[in-house]
Amino acid sequence: MSPSAKVLAVAVTCAIVAGLVFGCAEEGTRPSAAQTPDAIVADHMAQWKARNPDRANPWVEEEKQRHKIQPSADNADVLKGEQAAGQTYGNYTQRDVLVWARETEKLVVEGSRIFHNAGRLGGTVGVSCDMCHPDAANTHPETYPKFQPQMGRVALLRDMINWCIQHPVRGKALAPDSPEMRALEAYIVAQRKGEKLDYGKH
Amino acid sequence: MSSQTGLRVPLGRFGWCAAVLAAAWLCPSPTQSVEGAVPPKGDHGAATMDYQLQVLATLVPKADVSQAPKGFDPVVWAAFVPKDNEPNDKRVALGRKLYFETRLSRDGTVSCATCHDVTRGFTDQIKVSEGVKDQHGQRNAPTVLNAALLQVVFLDGRSPNLDHQATQPIINPVEMGMADGAAAVKAIAADAEYQKAFQEAYGRPVNYEDIGRAIGAFERTLVFIDSPFRRFLEGDTKAISAEARAGWEIFNGKARCVTCHQMNLSNPLGTDNRFHNVGVSARHQDFESLAVRALKAFKEDPSEKKLDELALSTPMSELGRFMVTKNRSDIGAFRTLMLLNVGISPPYMHDGSLPTLWDVMDHYNKGGEANPFLDGGMEPLALSEREIDQMVAFLFSLTDVRFAAENERQFAAQKAAAAKSRAFRDENMASRRKLAFEDRSEGAKGSGK
Amino acid sequence: MSSRHISVETRYIEDRQQVFGSLKNLDRRSFLKVSAAALAAAAANGLVPPAAFMPVSVAHGAPAAKEAPAFRFAYISDSHLYAKDLNDRFARALMRAVDDVNNLDPQPDFVFYGGDLAQLGQSHELDLGAQILKNLKAPLKIMVGEHDWYLDMGAKWRSLFGEPTYSWDHKGVHFVVLMSVVEKDFWTARGLTPMQRMQTVAGLDNGVQSSFMVGTEQRTWLEKDLAKLPNNAPLIVFSHSPLYKLYKNWNFWTDDADEVQAILKRFDRVVVIHGHTHQLLTNRIGNIHFHGLLSTAWPWPYAPQGMPELTIQMSRPDPFNPNDGCGDGEVHVHADGLVDKIYNLWNRNPITVAKGYTESGGKKCVPPKPNRPGY
Repeated sequence: MSPSAKVLAVAVTCAIVAGLVFGCAEEGTRPSAAQTPDAIVADHMAQWKARNPDRANPWVEEEKQRHKIQPSADNADVLKGEQAAGQTYGNYTQRDVLVWARETEKLVVEGSRIFHNAGRLGGTVGVSCDMCHPDAANTHPETYPKFQPQMGRVALLRDMINWCIQHPVRGKALAPDSPEMRALEAYIVAQRKGEKLDYGKH
Repeated sequence: MSSQTGLRVPLGRFGWCAAVLAAAWLCPSPTQSVEGAVPPKGDHGAATMDYQLQVLATLVPKADVSQAPKGFDPVVWAAFVPKDNEPNDKRVALGRKLYFETRLSRDGTVSCATCHDVTRGFTDQIKVSEGVKDQHGQRNAPTVLNAALLQVVFLDGRSPNLDHQATQPIINPVEMGMADGAAAVKAIAADAEYQKAFQEAYGRPVNYEDIGRAIGAFERTLVFIDSPFRRFLEGDTKAISAEARAGWEIFNGKARCVTCHQMNLSNPLGTDNRFHNVGVSARHQDFESLAVRALKAFKEDPSEKKLDELALSTPMSELGRFMVTKNRSDIGAFRTLMLLNVGISPPYMHDGSLPTLWDVMDHYNKGGEANPFLDGGMEPLALSEREIDQMVAFLFSLTDVRFAAENERQFAAQKAAAAKSRAFRDENMASRRKLAFEDRSEGAKGSGK
Repeated sequence: MSSRHISVETRYIEDRQQVFGSLKNLDRRSFLKVSAAALAAAAANGLVPPAAFMPVSVAHGAPAAKEAPAFRFAYISDSHLYAKDLNDRFARALMRAVDDVNNLDPQPDFVFYGGDLAQLGQSHELDLGAQILKNLKAPLKIMVGEHDWYLDMGAKWRSLFGEPTYSWDHKGVHFVVLMSVVEKDFWTARGLTPMQRMQTVAGLDNGVQSSFMVGTEQRTWLEKDLAKLPNNAPLIVFSHSPLYKLYKNWNFWTDDADEVQAILKRFDRVVVIHGHTHQLLTNRIGNIHFHGLLSTAWPWPYAPQGMPELTIQMSRPDPFNPNDGCGDGEVHVHADGLVDKIYNLWNRNPITVAKGYTESGGKKCVPPKPNRPGY
C-alpha cells in the first residue's frame, strides 16, 4: 500500500470509529433509544425470530385460536385449607398453580398441533387425525384399556393411536414414549375432561 | 423290489424286506400315514374308513372328554358345549362310529370321512367335494379340525351349531343323498349295535337329531391347537422360523389380517366368526340377478332343506350369507375361514378357487375383487414378494405338530405350484397403480353432463 | 417379475361387462324382502339362535308400497379427493359410488353431487373428480363445497362446472342449488396465502375461519327465483352446509339460516338436502324437512350439542372398516315434493328416512336405532 493510501485508510477507519462512537451524539450527549441495551437485545431477538419463525411465535396462543382446547384444571382448591400454613410440603402458591397449568397446556397444545397435521404425524396420504376426529371427537380415551380383537390384545389409547397412524394415516408407528405420542395422548385425554372412566367399553 | 440306493447289497430276503421297511419308514412319506405306507384309497378318493380309524387313533390322545381340551380356556370351552349334549365316552364313541358310517349315504359310498378325511387334513384337499354318484357341489369342504370352536357353522352360517350341521350333509342330494332324516335313521336302525349305542349314549332309540349330536360330540374331541406358533406364543422363541416371526408381524401390522382373522388366547382359531365379502365370489358372476333367482326359489320352498340344497348345488351358492339372512349387506359374504391348520387344508376359499397360500396372499394383496358389496377392510396391501413369503411361512406355522409331516409335504407342493403359476397376482393393483373400481366405473361410460 | 403377471380377473372383467350389458338388472329394493315363511320354519325348529338366522327387512323404515314415488335421483357427495398417487382410498371410494349408481336399474333421473369433490381445491383434484364423474350414465347435477372453493375462490370450479348457484325444474318439482359456504374474509388481515386459506377452511374444527352463510346476494337471487312459484309448489333446495344452526364449531351452521328459512316459509313444504356433515342427519323446522348426505370418503362424528331431535343416528362407524359409515344413496321424490331419503351405507343394510317420518314429526316409519351409539 502506498503511503497516501495508508493515510487514507487510517483516516477512514478513524472516521468510522468516531462515527460509531460519536455519530449519534450529534443529537445530544445521551445515547439514543437504538443504542440502549434493551434495544440491542430486541434487535438480536428480532433476528433470531426471523431465523426460527415456528418457535418464535406465540405458538400456544395461535394454536388455541385455531382449535378449541379444553383448559386444564385450575387447581384453585390446593390454595385453600389451613394445614399447610407456614410449611414447605403441601404449601402451594398461585404461581405454582399457574406454572402447572401453563406447562400442562403446552403439551396438550403441542398434541393438538400434531393431531391436526398430516406431515407431523408422519402420514403419507394427506390424512390427519382431525379428518375423522374434529376436536378429538369420537376418540373416547376414557374407554381404554379395552380388548380389541382386531388387534389381538388389550389396547391402550396409545395402541389405538398407533393403529390409526399406521392405517388411515399411513405413517410409521410412533414409539410409545416418543414426544409426539405423549403429546397426542395428552391432547386426546384432555379433550374428554370430565368424562367418567369406563374402561373396556366398546 | 430294488433298494433305494441301487447298489447291489448282499442281503437275504428277510434282510431286504427289513431294509425296505426301514427305509420307507425313515424317508419322508408322500402322505400322512401310520407306518410310512401310502393310505389305501376307498370311494371318491378318500382313504378307506378302516385306515382312517387307525390313523385317528394315533392322533387323538386318550383324554377326559368331559373336560376342556388341553391348552384351551375352560370357561370359554363351556360356552361351546351345548347343554343337551354334554360329552362322555359313550357319545364320543357313537359319534366316531357314525362319522365313518357309509351306510348313511344313499349308495353306501360316502360318510363324513369321505370329504373330511383324517389323512387329508380332515378335509379332502380338492376344489369342491364329491358326493354320491360322483356329483360335485359348489363349496370347498372346510376342515373338521377345531370346528367345535367355531361360533358359526357352514360358510354361510346356515347352521347354528355343530350338532345341527352334522345332520345336513346326510340329506343333501349331492353329498350323502339320503331322502330325509327318516331314511338316514332307517339305514342304521336295524343294526343292534347302533340300537345299543344310542340307548347308552342318549337314552333314546336311534333318531336323526341324535345322529347329529353324537357326531358333534365326536367332533368336539378333534381339537388340534398345538402348533409351533402356539408354542412360540407360550415362550419358545425358537419354535418358529425368523421368516414366520416376520410374517406374524406383518399379519398384525401392514397386512391387517388380524382384523378379521382374530387370534388370541380365548379364540385361537384365526377367525372372527363373521361374514365378509372379500371378492372371491365376485370373480365370475353378477350378484344382482343371482339374488333375484334366490328369492324366487325361496318363495316356492322356504324350508331349511331347500336352503341347504341351493347353497350347494346352484350358482346361488355364491351369494353366501345372503341366502340365510336376505340382508343386502351380506351379499357374497362368507364366514372368515379358520387359520389353524390352514397349511394342510388346501385349496382355499369357499369355492376352493385358490390352490395355494401364495395365491391367497395375492388375492388379498391386490385388495380382493371389486364388487358393489366388497368389504371395506379389503385394501391393496403393497406387500413385497419377501413379505408374502414371510406371511406364508407364518401361516404354515399354524399347523398342529401332529400333522407336521403333512404340513411339510404341503409346503413343498404348494411352493412348487406357486413357483410355476401365480394366476391371481396383480402387481398394478397391489401397488395401487391401478385402483379397484377404476375399470368397473369406467366400463360403463355414459353421457354424463 | 412384476408387470408380466396379469390376474385372471382382468379377463373376467370383460366377461362381466358383457353380462351386465345383456342382463336386465332389477331394482335392488324389490328383491330384498324377507321370506316370512322361511323365518317361521326356522323358528319352529327351535334351532335358531339370534345370531345365525336374522332375516331383516333391508330398507328399514320403508314406507308402505302404495306410496310409490314420482321419480328418483341418486346422490354421491363429499369425496374429498387428493391426487390418486397421494391417496388412492378416496379416489377408489368415489369410483365405487359411481359403480353403485351405474348399477341401479332402472337408472335414476339424474345424479346429484353434494359438494367437496376435491380436498384442497387443487386443479388436479377437481380434474380427477370431474373425470371420474363423467363415467356416470345418468345426467349429473353438481353443487360446490368449501373444499372446492377456497383455494382459488371458485375459478377452477366455474371453468369445470359453471355457476355454483342455479335452479331447474324436473317433473313438476323446482330444484335450487345454493352456494351456502360463503365466508367473510378472514384471510387478508392475516396475510394468508391461498393454500393457507384453503387449509384453514379444510379443517372442520379450525376456529380461524368464519361461519358459513348464504349471503345477501344469493338470498336476493333466491327470492327472485322462487317468486313465481305458488305456495304449494314442490320445492327441493340443495345446499352444502345444513341451512340451520347445528354446531358452530364445525361449521355445521349457516349464519343467515333464519333469513333463508324466512324466504322458504311461505311454502307448504320444502325439502333441504345438504352435504358437509358426512352422516345420517334428519331435521324438521316448521315446513322445512332437512336431510343430510353421506360422504364417500369418511364419516364425521355427531356434534356434541345441537343435534336435531328427529335424527336417529347411524351406528358409530367401525374404524377397522374404512368404508363403514360411508356410502351413497337415492332420494325418492313424491308428487307433493316430500322425499324418502335412502342412505346406502356400504357394508351395512340401507336405511330409509321416509317422508312419513318427517311428516309425522318422528312418529311413523321410524328408522332403526343404532347398536353402537356415538360417544
